[in-house]
Amino acid sequence: MNARVVFTLAAVLLAGPSFAQTKGRLNLPEFAALADKASETVTVTLDSNLLGIAARFLSNEDPEQAKAKKLVSSLSGVYVQHFTFETDYAYPKGDIDRVRKQLDAPGWSRIVEARSKKENTNVDVFLLLSGDKVQGLAVIASEPREFTIVNIVGNIDLEQLHDLEGNFSIPKLGIETAKPPASTAAPAKPK
Amino acid sequence: MPETLLMQARAGDRRAFAELVKAHQGSVFSIGLRMLNRRDVAEDLAQDVFLQLYRKLDTIESLQHLGFWLRRVAANLAIDWMRRAPYIATLPLDESADVSAPEADSDPLMSRELTRLLGELAPHPRAVMLLRYQEDRDVAEIAAMLDMPVNTVKSHIKRSLTALRGRMIGAKLIDCEEVP
Amino acid sequence: MTELENELRRLLRPVDAPAGFADRVMRSLPEHAKPAAITVLPTPRRSWMQQFGMPTALAASLLAAVLLGQFTAEQRELRAEQRGLEASRELMQALRLTSDKLDIAYQAVQGPPPSDPEENRS
Repeated sequence: MNARVVFTLAAVLLAGPSFAQTKGRLNLPEFAALADKASETVTVTLDSNLLGIAARFLSNEDPEQAKAKKLVSSLSGVYVQHFTFETDYAYPKGDIDRVRKQLDAPGWSRIVEARSKKENTNVDVFLLLSGDKVQGLAVIASEPREFTIVNIVGNIDLEQLHDLEGNFSIPKLGIETAKPPASTAAPAKPK
Repeated sequence: MPETLLMQARAGDRRAFAELVKAHQGSVFSIGLRMLNRRDVAEDLAQDVFLQLYRKLDTIESLQHLGFWLRRVAANLAIDWMRRAPYIATLPLDESADVSAPEADSDPLMSRELTRLLGELAPHPRAVMLLRYQEDRDVAEIAAMLDMPVNTVKSHIKRSLTALRGRMIGAKLIDCEEVP
Repeated sequence: MTELENELRRLLRPVDAPAGFADRVMRSLPEHAKPAAITVLPTPRRSWMQQFGMPTALAASLLAAVLLGQFTAEQRELRAEQRGLEASRELMQALRLTSDKLDIAYQAVQGPPPSDPEENRS
C-alpha cells in the first residue's frame, strides 16, 4: 500500500469520532456482554429522526412531558447507557475510561467533577461549548454497583434539563389558595 | 378483613364498600396529605380515589390487590395534581396541615425539620419515600405502582436519604458519624 | 435500618382521615346500583353459504381481501404508533436519568447547607 494512502487512513483513524460522527456525539460501547450480568439495563439510542417521532407522542397536557417536548425540539440525539449490578465493580472500568478519553477532545470542558468517598460515587459533567451555546452534554456517573453514561447532542438548555425531575426541584412560590383542577370524576361534595 | 367483604362490595353491597373505605381511608388520605400538604385538597384527592375504586371494583381481584391499587392510584393522582399546581405543596410550616403522626414528636425539632425537608422533595421522590416509609412497601412494589424502573426507585430512596441526612447534619439534628 | 429511617417511619405513620370522611364518600357515590354483568350469547344462524349459495362465497372472498388489506394497513399504523410511544417512553426515561445525575452534580456544587446560628441545639 503506498505511503500516501497509509497516511490518509491513519489521519482518518486518529481523528476519532469527531471526524465521522455528528459534533458532540460520543462513540459509546454497546456493552452487549454486560446485559446478561446486569440486574437492570437501560439503553436509549434516539437520533434526530426518532427524537422527532418521540416528541410527537409527548403530551402537552402533562407538564413534565411538555417541558421535555420543548427541550427536545433543538436536540439531534439522546444516547444513554445505564447498568446496575448485584456485585461491586462488575463492569469494565476500561470501557468507561475510553469514553472519558473522548472528552479530552477539543471543545469539551469538564464543568463538574463530584466525588464522594463515603458512597464511592463519581459524577463528571462535560459540556461541548460553541461560543456561549451548549452543543453537547456528557455525564459519566459511576458507583460500585451501577454506572451511567449520558450523551446529549444539539442545542441544550441545561436549566430545562435539570428542572425535569431533580430531587429538589419544586419552586418555592409562597402561599396560594387555588385548588388543583377538579377531577372529572368528583361531583360536589357535601361537607 | 375477610375477602368476602370485597366480594360483597363487588356485588353492589354499599355497606361492604363503606367498610373497605374505612379500612383504607387513613393510608389514602395520608398519601394525599403528605404529597399535597393541605387537608382539604388531600380529602378531595382521597374522595376521588375511592370514587374511582367504586367504578373499578370489578377489576379488583383480592384484598391484597385492593391495597396495591389504592396506593398506586393515590400516589399517581397526587403526582399529577402536584405537577398541575406545584404551589399547593409549598405552604410554610406554620400553616402546614400537621402532616406528622401525633406520636412522632419524640424530637419535635427533628420531626419539624424532616417534615419540611420531605415537603421540598419533587413529586416522584416524595411519592417513593411515602410508599416506602409510610406504607412500608418494597422496592419492586413501588416500581410497579409508579411505573418506574426498580433502579430509579432505589436511586430516589438513596438520594433522598442522603440529601435529608446532609441537611439534618447541617442543621446539627443528627451526628455526622451516622452510617447507613 | 438507620436512625433517620426509623425517624421517617415514626413521622410518616398514617394519620386518621377527617371525621365523617367515609360518609361523605358514600354520599358522593352514584345513586343507581352497579348493574350486574350480563352476557348475551349470539343466536345461531344459518351460514351464508346455506342461504345464498356460491356467488356469496366469491363476494365474501373479495370482502376478506379488502378487509385484510385494511387490517394490514391498520397493523402497520399500530406498530408505528407503538414504536412512537416506546420512543417517547425511552426519551422520558433517558431525560429523567440525566436529570437525576445532574442533581447529584448540582448538590455537590451547592455544598452542605449552612447551620442556622439562631438555633440552639448544643
